[in-house]
Parts: sequence; C-alpha cells; structure tokens
Amino acid sequence: MRKKKGVTIAVIVLCVFMVFALSGCLGGREINDLEIVIGMGVDKDEKTGNILLTAQIVKEQAVGRSSGGSGGGGDEKAFWNVSSTGESIFEAVRQLTHKTGNRLFVSHNQAVIFGNDIASEGLQKYIDFFLRAHEMRPTVLILIAEGRASDVMDAKPDTEKFPAMNIAKLVKTYGYTSHLYKVNMKDFSECLMCSEKASFAPLITVSDNEGSKDVFVPGMAVFKNGKMVGKLGHGEVRGVLWVLGKVKSGVITVPSPDGGGKAILEIIEAKSKAIPEIIDGKIIIHVMVEVELSLSEQTTAENLATVPAFGKIQDASEEVVRKEIMAAFKKTSELKADIFGFSEMLYKKYSKEWKSMKDNWDDIYPTIELDIDVASRVVTTNLLRNPASPKEGEK
Amino acid sequence: MFRYIFRKIRSSYLKKENERALREARSGKDNSAPLLPDLDRNLEAVKSILRDSSDVTFHEFNFGHDRRYRAALVFINSMTDKEEIHKNILQPLMFGSLLLSSDADMDFTQIDSIRKNLISITENQKVSLLNDLVDNLLTGAAILLIDGSKEALAVKSRKRETRSVDEPATEAVVRGPREGFIEDVNVNIALIRRKIKVPDLCVEKLVIGEKSKTDVYIVYVKSVADPKLIEEIRIRLDRIKIDAILESGYIEQFIEDDPWSIFPTVSNTEKPDKVAAKILEGRAAILVDGTPFVLAVPMVFVESFQSVEDYYSRPFLASITRMIRFLSYIISTLGPAIYVALTVFHQELIPTQLLISIAEGRERVPFPAILEASLMIFAFDILREAGVRLPKPVGQTVGIVGAIVLGEASVQAGLISPIMVIVVSSTAIASFAVPAQTDSGTVLRYIYLALAGIAGGFGVITGLLVTLLHLASLRSFGTPYLWPIAPLNLSGLKDVFVRMPLWMQSKRPKAIAGNGRDLRNQGPELMPSPYKGDNSDSG
Repeated sequence: MRKKKGVTIAVIVLCVFMVFALSGCLGGREINDLEIVIGMGVDKDEKTGNILLTAQIVKEQAVGRSSGGSGGGGDEKAFWNVSSTGESIFEAVRQLTHKTGNRLFVSHNQAVIFGNDIASEGLQKYIDFFLRAHEMRPTVLILIAEGRASDVMDAKPDTEKFPAMNIAKLVKTYGYTSHLYKVNMKDFSECLMCSEKASFAPLITVSDNEGSKDVFVPGMAVFKNGKMVGKLGHGEVRGVLWVLGKVKSGVITVPSPDGGGKAILEIIEAKSKAIPEIIDGKIIIHVMVEVELSLSEQTTAENLATVPAFGKIQDASEEVVRKEIMAAFKKTSELKADIFGFSEMLYKKYSKEWKSMKDNWDDIYPTIELDIDVASRVVTTNLLRNPASPKEGEK
Repeated sequence: MFRYIFRKIRSSYLKKENERALREARSGKDNSAPLLPDLDRNLEAVKSILRDSSDVTFHEFNFGHDRRYRAALVFINSMTDKEEIHKNILQPLMFGSLLLSSDADMDFTQIDSIRKNLISITENQKVSLLNDLVDNLLTGAAILLIDGSKEALAVKSRKRETRSVDEPATEAVVRGPREGFIEDVNVNIALIRRKIKVPDLCVEKLVIGEKSKTDVYIVYVKSVADPKLIEEIRIRLDRIKIDAILESGYIEQFIEDDPWSIFPTVSNTEKPDKVAAKILEGRAAILVDGTPFVLAVPMVFVESFQSVEDYYSRPFLASITRMIRFLSYIISTLGPAIYVALTVFHQELIPTQLLISIAEGRERVPFPAILEASLMIFAFDILREAGVRLPKPVGQTVGIVGAIVLGEASVQAGLISPIMVIVVSSTAIASFAVPAQTDSGTVLRYIYLALAGIAGGFGVITGLLVTLLHLASLRSFGTPYLWPIAPLNLSGLKDVFVRMPLWMQSKRPKAIAGNGRDLRNQGPELMPSPYKGDNSDSG
C-alpha cells in the first residue's frame, strides 16, 4: 500500500513537469532581447518595385535621457526608424533582424501607415500579414500617407517622444472635431470583404512650417474594393459621420440672427437614423439627425440667449448639417463609392429588389435621393447668460 | 521522498524509544513504592533519588507539646517561597498555641489533622507514593513528612518569576484591551475567566512531557463547543509522548491535521480577548504553561484575515481594511511572480508606455528577470531575519544598510532594475499585513516565482489551482479549512470580506459550533434605532 502511494506521487510529479514541457508556453523572452515596434510604414521601393518596410523601434537607452532634458544630448531621438525591403511584408519584417539583431516585437504597434502608392495600387494584398500574424493586434490603427509613409514617421513632434504614438493620438482624438474618424485594421478589413460598400481611412501628411515639420490629418482616403479612389475633406467627413451617427463633438459656426457677427456652437450630442425607401423604382433614403448644441462663443454684442434668437440659430445650424451631408454625398457620388453603407440598408430591407440592383450598384448610387431631416436644439449657453457688452437700454 | 526519509527516522526513533522504556522499567522499580511510617527511611529514599541535586533542603524538626513529634520538611530552594513556608508551615507547627497546650488530644502523626488544623495554605495535597512525592517536590511544592505517618503532605508554596501582564508585541492594537498572556498559565486562565464568567467554562488539565511535565489546559464553554471536538482534542493530546513541551508550538505540530501542508490548521494568539471570542464561537483553546502563545482549534483560512480590532471599531473601515488584507496576501504571494510572468512571457499585456519604462529600467541589467526577482526576495528575507533577531538599535542599522545597499546602490550599479525594487518592496510590505499567514505566504512566493519563471502565466495559474485544491481539501479538527466560502455558508459570509455590523451577526459559526444546538448569540432585532415615543408629535 505504501509503495503504491509513492508511485502515485511520482507519476503526478512527472505529469506536472510534462505539462510544463509540452505546453509550448516556454518561450520566455527577456525584455532586453526585444525590439519594441511602435509604428510601421509600408511603401513601395522605387527602384525594384518591392515593399519597403519601415519600423519605428523604441531606443530604450535614449528614452530617459531625451525626456529628462536637463542633461546634455537632449536632442537624441528616442526612436529608431529602420527599414528593409522584401517581396512580401513578412519577408521584410524578418529582413529587419539583419539590422536590429533582435527579433521585432510588434504587439505594441500603434499604427500602420501605408504610402500613397501602395494605397492606389490596392491594400488588399498588403494587409493579410497584419491580420494573420499572431503578435499583431487587429485594433492597430490604419492610416494612409499622402506622400511616403517613411517621411511621416520621421517627423518628430515636440511633445511626444515617438512619432507613431503622436500619430495614433491624432486619430484617437477625432471626437473633438469629428473631422476624421478612427479606423483600425479590423474595421477596415471588414469593409474590404464587402464589394459594394466603400471604406475609408484617415490620411496623414507632413507640413513644413518654417523648418519645423508637423504631422496632421487633412481628411480621409476613400477606398473602393481595396483601392484608394479619392479623398474627403474635413467637412465632407463630418457629413458622412452625421449619417453614420458617429459624430461625437465638434464646432458649427452660423451667422448670428442680427447679422452683426457669428454664433459658434458646440455639438454636445448627435443621433441619427437612416431608413431607405423605394417609391416607383426610385430610392429615397430618409436621414433623420438630432443634434444638441451649446452656445460656446459669440462675436456679436446682441444677447443670443432669447427664444427668437435660438430659433434662428437652430434653423441655421440645421442648414449647416444638411449642407455637410449633401456635400459628402455629392463627393461620394462622383467617386461612386458607397461610404454610407446604403447598399447594406437596402439589402436588409429590400432584399428582393437588391438582387437586381446589385450588379449595377455603381450606376444606381448617384441617383439616390436623400431626404434629410435635421432637428437641432441649443440646450445651454454655458457659463454666460448675457454677453459682456453694454446694455441696450443705456445706449 | 521526504515521506520515505521521515518514515526511516520515525522507525529508528520508535526502536530507541522501546529500548529506553524497557531500561526504565527495569531500573525504576522502587519509584512507585509506598511511603513507610518511618521518617528516617522515607528521607533516605528521597535523598537517594535526589542525591545529585544540591538545591534541595531537608529540614528536620520536632514539634508539638514537649516536642514529641518528629517531622521533616523537604523542598527545592529555588522553586519555593521560603517566607511563605516559614509563616504558614513552620510557624504554626512549632509555635501554634493549639500544639503547645498539653491537653491537645489530637494525634499529630495523622496528616489529616495537621492539614485541617494547622496548615494555612489552601493548595495542599496528601501523597502516599514515593514518586508522587518526588513529582510534587519537583513542581515546587514543600513536602511535610511526619514520623509515624504513611502519608506526606505536599504544600504548594510555589515561587515563580513572572512578567507582568503587558501589551503583546506581536499583536498591538490601537483600540482594544492592551493586556496579553504571559508565561504563567494560571495567570492566563485568570485572564480568560475574567472575560467569560459562566459556570460551564471548562478548564481541563493534562500533563504532557515525560521530563518537562508541562501543564496543558483545554479551555472551552461546554454549552457551546461541540463535544466531539473536545473528545478529538483529548485523543490527539493523549497521543503525545515526548520528553518535553517547551512551547505551544510543540503541541501544535503534534496535533495539526496535515503536517505536510504549508497552511497552519491551528491558530495562535497572545491576546485574551481574542481567545475569549474564539471560545465563545465554539472553539477550544489550548493553554500551555510557560508560553504566552495560546492555541485555538479549529482554525479556518479566513480567520487569518480577521483582527480583533475589526470588531471593536465600526464596520465601515473594518470592512475596507479586511479587503486590504486579502489584497495584501494576494500581492505578497503573487507580486513578483506576476511581474516575471508579464515581463518575460506576456509583454503584450503590459500597457505600451509602461513597457517602455520597464525596458528602459532593465537596459543595463545583466540577469534574467527571474534571477533578478529571486535575488531581491532572498535579500529581503535575509534582511528581515537579521532585523528580527537583533536588538532594536542594531536592527535599525540593518534596515538602513539594506535600504541603501539593496535599494539604491544595486539600481545605480545596474544590477537590479528600479521597477523590480518597487515590486519586491511592495511585496515585502504587503506580507506584513497578514501575520497569521506569513509562513505560507513566504513559501508560496518562492513557488509561484519559480513557476512563473518556468512557464509564465500558465505556470502561475497551475500553481494557483493546485493551491486552491489543496486548501479545499484541508480540514482543521473536522471543519473545512475554506469555510464559509467552500462549503458556502451565507450567514458565515457576513464576517469574511466585509465585516457586517455586530447586530447582524446573530449566529455562531455553523461549521464550528453546529452540533445541533441553538446558534443564536444575541437577542432578535438588535438594530439600534432611536426611541420613537408613543407616536405623538414631539414638535
């Protein structure tokens, strides 16, 4: 009996050790042996036509020094942009180890930036690796450079240590203006799977202001079947977002009712609903937008916090929203790119009719009629009730 | 393997034990001899047993009218109170008016008449066997032998050097009684009796230890404690055949349920109020003479996280501190392991900014993270051990040297990363928050760290599961160790993660006192509410 117990214990101990050995989780890597990648850029190599991959790697030894600032050599960059070429992205990634010495660690990648030439050629064949590799996150942000991706990644911002982090931040804070929208790899690839619906991704560019290079987002690139077909400006992007219900906040400027200045309104909340309808073979999309606004600034001496003034401001702001939506629709009609996802709405509601529309959707899309109904409400005037101006009675 | 070695040691020990018992049986046959009515021969016998002890006093004297009776007083100088012997034994015997008067018709060769008429110490006992006499002598009694009597009188006039009742150093409280147990078990029992004044507070005495003859007391309230529990304690204590019990830790190690577990199944405390509370919940306390540490059984795991102060202060802060204690235990066992698992195996789980700062701190460190962590924890354990044993001023020096050398210099020298110092020091601080589980916490910390170094998060989770299984399988004197969490008991849960108000804790713990008796420990509807008057409007 006692002997048997000993054997049992030995077997259990052996099993436990075997579990560890067999699990395949034993691949521990010390942090020192990692090259932490925080941004990646994909361009076309002009000479060979191969892929030129730029990886932004954290230089650990320089992080403390460049942030401290007091010591000498504060100019040193905390990152290292290293690039390599290859016929495929994976090959290029592995080629990079010839230069870094350590394996790249891409789980903390913040943004993938595709060059303009790659985007025009079509992203479909380039994003497979970013979705397939197990270390890559599907939530990595996707951006399109107006020029070359490597140039964007070189522009060092003054407050951030890493350009890639700065770029990611620019996109993540889209809600303050709603002039662009955050798109990650997963969202983008979902749009790619649908042939009728178009997708978009934020553009990024470098502006040269008297020697200091600044990175900014001028708008969104529109993709159709994976290929970049056009660009949307700030106002047009917000027009799209109104319909999609993705507007978070932003600024609407309307002329003040007395015509002496402007009233500047902040979007507090926006809701939208789009319902398709087919009447006599004509497609009408009813778009209903509800906006709550606050009076954030005024450039006129008149007190705008009155009922008639509010009514006029609301009417004017509704007109602004309507114009933005129409502008966006006009632009996408030209591109024949269904960025609003009307095709999906029709497919859901009129699946029988959709079958006949499906094949010539590109021609049908520009003929769609939009019925836009905007209801806006100014709900608060923030801290001031009267503007700081002499009272009218004392004049 | 350990079991094998243990068995070997035990069997060889048993063999020796048998031989020793045989030898004793052969040599010590005269120890159980009865006393003879002859004083000289009795004295001779005692002297022959104690011939090597120079501190034994044999005082022969005559007493009674005409000094007609012969007697002797035997005692050990160092253990008896001489003044008391003079005042209460010798004085009355030699100068008592009752004896000196000639018409006393009492027979003073009878021990009983002396005991009843002359001795003014209440704690005394008749002995008629030689080895009883010697036993009493060695526990500090003065032995009165009278010529012509087959019996002797053992008078307890013990003198003991005792400490005063102080605040215990290990369990200081902000609010609560400041008294603590001392080394004298009689004082300790008095401290408990002062808190529980019921006739059915039982104080059972046992003597354990063939050489130390230590007094061990089982204290419990008969109407609350489970009789089966008391019976089990008696059986386990009776099993102990050992030379000496020097501290209650000896008893603990002989009666615990799973001697191979790193978790204690017997609790100990220095505080009388804590023991009283445990006894009133249906537990039994085991008091051992010579130590201020009192054992209490059964013990459950969550007991380690409860402090007496939780019940003395209002429930809100008490609940928060209790959760902090649970958290501290988790930090103290898992802190370094999780750090190693994350930085070596799961870097993708660390927020980017934090990963960059960790990487920056580790830039110059030449060791793998697991070695770095082990070194730091090991250094901390050395510091703690060195600091505890040293006198206070020197202990402080150790602390300063440790802080500067380990904390500052090793980081500056690039041997240890600064974040590792933070991890290990927070672990160290957290480990002091749950004193009852320091043992298990320290062992688990090393085990989890090793598992994290081998297999990362997977290893840590495996270790946690094994620990959980082990905890769930433990029992302490029949009570499941994880009670009231597993098996779940809702009324018991009122006193685990949050400390519910006292008026809501109206029942004794079912797993401990649940012997079919009424578990209520307070009246119904005790929630305080201001007096509402007779519904008339007071305004």
